[in-house]
Amino acid sequence: MSLAELIRGRRTIRSFNQTPVARELVAELLQQAAGLYPSAEDAVWRCIYAGTPESRKRLADYMMEHMAGSRLGKWMPGKMIELFKKRFADIPGHVVVIAGTGPDRQASDRNYAAVCSILQNFQLLGWERQLGMLWDTEPMMQSEGFYERLGIRENERFVGVLHLGYYNKAPRGRSRTPAEKKWTVYAGSQSLK
Amino acid sequence: MTLFNFRPELRGSGSFSGQSVPRQLVLELLNDAVWAPNDGLREPWRFIYADNDSSGRLSGLQEPAPAYLIVVMKEESDPYKRDEDFAAVCCLMQNFELLACERKLGVRRTMNNWIYDRKQMNAFGVQDKERIAAVLEIGFWDGDPGATPSPQMAEVKFDLL
Repeated sequence: MSLAELIRGRRTIRSFNQTPVARELVAELLQQAAGLYPSAEDAVWRCIYAGTPESRKRLADYMMEHMAGSRLGKWMPGKMIELFKKRFADIPGHVVVIAGTGPDRQASDRNYAAVCSILQNFQLLGWERQLGMLWDTEPMMQSEGFYERLGIRENERFVGVLHLGYYNKAPRGRSRTPAEKKWTVYAGSQSLK
Repeated sequence: MTLFNFRPELRGSGSFSGQSVPRQLVLELLNDAVWAPNDGLREPWRFIYADNDSSGRLSGLQEPAPAYLIVVMKEESDPYKRDEDFAAVCCLMQNFELLACERKLGVRRTMNNWIYDRKQMNAFGVQDKERIAAVLEIGFWDGDPGATPSPQMAEVKFDLL
């Protein structure tokens, strides 16, 4: 598989099978992913992994805790919340990704960009091993309570939870707008200013 | 080849040779790179390409390079969407950099001060509800490629919940 085929072939996976995922593989792929980013040694970030039934259940509780207290959550029947939790807890692995923030917007953006780029490498490396992922940034999950549970500190930000596992079927790709349609050439301003 | 075994001359810095960059190549790589994950298929990006800047405006803002790709993104009012979009654009740029590397094309990703300056942005045709995510400086590396040793990589922090 060429690099272009890998990039074009990768899909977001939302439905995983129960084949266990080795924790060591996840850690190794994350390390590889960082190695494919030019200045990864400057990136400030960390991961928290939930890969055992017990830790997955705990993470699902953290995720739903705030939701249950929210307006939508109050309206949601308890049964539904339990169903959500079970769905999350059944997924073989979850990588919580946390990035450092800098003294200003530029520094924070740079670091966030580095971490996001490393995560794309991670998704591609996973795909190559038939490991599917969903990079979850659901706003409802992003609460102070959830961050506190995860121990996210003052100088850190939440990047997402990557749900991962093997899959039986990958969805079809949705075609992208050709780059030509989103492309302009700048040749310099002709006006005298 | 697998990405796992891909040992590119990963250079985020270095100088470029004078060799020009074929536009067709950049477009070809971009058409693969746009297969980045992006929430709701919003495709929140567009590109301003400069390889013949007659005004020389960029040369005062960026290091010399045969070509520049200004990666512009939509700025949603919803902060969550804004973050998701920025992440998506980063995935696209990472795709592009990997693909470029495979074709021996060098890319320096820059996020200089001026990309936060509305007046500067507007001069390049960036609209009000847009921002510049990064400027990619593109060219063929000057000198021997594989010579750069990969820097000592710290172990990724991987804690168990």
